Amino acid sequence: MPLSSTTDTTPTDPQSQRGRTLIRIQNFNAWYGDFQALQDLTLDIPRHQVTAFIGPSGCGKSTLLKWINRMNDLTPGARAKGGISLLSDRPDEQTVDVDILDPNVDVVKLRRKIGIVFQKPNPFPKSIFDNVAFGPRLHLKTTKSELDELVEWALQKAAVWDEVKDRLQGPALGLSGGQQQRLCIARAIAMGPEVLLMDEPCSALDPASTLAIEDLMFELRSQYTIVVVTHNMQQASRCSDRTAFFFEGRLIESGETRKMFTNPDKNQTDDYVRGKFG
Amino acid sequence: MNKLPVALTRHDANKIARYTKRRKQFSAAFYALCVAIALLSVAILVVLLMSIGIEGQSRLSTDLLTRSHSELQPQRSGMWPAIVGSLLVCGTCGLLALPLGIGTAIFLEEFKPRNRWLLRLRSFVQLNVSNLAGVPSIVYGLLGLTMFVYMFNLFGQIQVNQSSGWELMGAKHLYQVLTLEPDHAVFIPQTNRNQNQITIDRPLDGLDQDWNPIAIDVWAPGTPQPKDPEVRRRTVAAGTTGGTVTDKAWYYFRLPLDRSFLAGGLTLGLVILPIIIIASQEALRSVPSSLREASLGLGATNWQTVRDVTFPAAVPGIMTGAILAMGRAIGEAAPILMVLGATISKESGPRHLMDNAVTMPVLIFNWAGRQQQEFKQLSAAAIIVLLVTLLILNSVAILIRHKIQQSQP
Repeated sequence: MPLSSTTDTTPTDPQSQRGRTLIRIQNFNAWYGDFQALQDLTLDIPRHQVTAFIGPSGCGKSTLLKWINRMNDLTPGARAKGGISLLSDRPDEQTVDVDILDPNVDVVKLRRKIGIVFQKPNPFPKSIFDNVAFGPRLHLKTTKSELDELVEWALQKAAVWDEVKDRLQGPALGLSGGQQQRLCIARAIAMGPEVLLMDEPCSALDPASTLAIEDLMFELRSQYTIVVVTHNMQQASRCSDRTAFFFEGRLIESGETRKMFTNPDKNQTDDYVRGKFG
Repeated sequence: MNKLPVALTRHDANKIARYTKRRKQFSAAFYALCVAIALLSVAILVVLLMSIGIEGQSRLSTDLLTRSHSELQPQRSGMWPAIVGSLLVCGTCGLLALPLGIGTAIFLEEFKPRNRWLLRLRSFVQLNVSNLAGVPSIVYGLLGLTMFVYMFNLFGQIQVNQSSGWELMGAKHLYQVLTLEPDHAVFIPQTNRNQNQITIDRPLDGLDQDWNPIAIDVWAPGTPQPKDPEVRRRTVAAGTTGGTVTDKAWYYFRLPLDRSFLAGGLTLGLVILPIIIIASQEALRSVPSSLREASLGLGATNWQTVRDVTFPAAVPGIMTGAILAMGRAIGEAAPILMVLGATISKESGPRHLMDNAVTMPVLIFNWAGRQQQEFKQLSAAAIIVLLVTLLILNSVAILIRHKIQQSQP
């Protein structure tokens, strides 16, 4: 069941775009070899909101996330049918609608628009500065001072600037796990994406770092559309606007997070969010 | 259901204690065995090095490093041409094998093709690399002989100093003409490639023995000869004839390569190619895939990912493989004997790209097989030099590796 728009206003102001569909997934099926990981899935992901994918292990939520920016291209035997489109309306982009699954789509451009943060923090074995500058150096032609400004901005956005500003040339691997994950978020933000995909971004972190990342997601949704896969019910209820519940490759239910956690339509959802299984 | 299984309820403390003690004894005995084996291998190495050191130390001198082989005077023989030869051959070998091997490894590991034909090519290359790693080096010698020395006879036989070699790169073709001064010659650049002889009958421009341009005078028989030796050196009797000679610059090049150090180096490159490919593949494989995903997830292309992330992370491993491979190349004798031949009486290292060369292992092989005690000592001393060269090369490579590791924090 598609999520409908909650607000409808003029399309110029980014805040007023909130709630309009950005990613439309229609009749989507995905396979790994002969195993069907996702079946006939239809879901709309709204702009400037945090959408959480929940469900037990192996339900296909990570698979869907990885198809949204085509990371599954790297997995041998991964196939998909159906439609995922990005309804971008950035004034500076020529392409408005992108059919993500089109084999001819430019994945380099696509991944610039749709950044991803992985489960385990994976900074490059380079300096903190070089990590954040990696994306801009790939995609943008910048002067030294523009790059400095961009790196500082991204690190501030990712709420890690104060901790690293004195050691930008130091190794990124010397940071703590939570700092590394925020660095990875800064790295994704620095190339100016519209969407941030997060694949269980807190599962390898301690509670304090988890809280910091959750606050960050809440902050960032005013400018980015965030999709987060999580195993943590509390996390989904705390920091997402919308929740989609997956089970055995099917989308069982999706809707406003508050409704999903208090009064879902399906019993299966109710059982899962109450922790009766999964 | 509360009853424990029988095995856990039987309390025979003595039996268990005895059993535990026996296990610990066995463990200690195994540990001792491992230490003994390790010591034995070190002891063998020490004995080897010491016997070589004792035999060769009397001949370790600057003479050994700076002189060349002398058949009649073993006490004055040296290995300078072999040192230069070995370094040049190994340099060629590295220039061929490193880029080719690392490139192949990157293709095999990093560019997983989706296209069916490229997939087939990939598995074909992989299969061949694995097989080639086990091929004896003498077989590579045979391959080098046909591939580089004769080049499948594609370019015909070699004709040195024939005018057919006119277009050869780095070769200067000249006429050599004797002057009035005894044992002195001047040179005149050859302009007509089909003319093998020249007759001097008028003054013209030429070159002296140091390749400086001079004006050549002609002395007409019957008139008095010039007295000044300076003038006599550039004066030629009218009607004197001269034949063609070829001067080869260091970049002198022709095909086929014949028994040149270049052919030897390329053959050794083939020998170590599979080693480098396999080591580089291992190094690339050990780069965590999360780094690869991070780079691709940021919208990097495959090439950018390799250049900025995977390759820098794999460089230390690749360097280790390259060091091992180069160590093997510098000590390899069989393919060199086959490609370059067993000649060791050379005055210097190779003078141009097509020059033959002696390498250290071939020289050692030759010296060690002789009857005279002096040559046996020489070969021991040469082994020490070879080992030290190897050690220096390895330390330089390790230093470079260290530098690279430090430059990426």
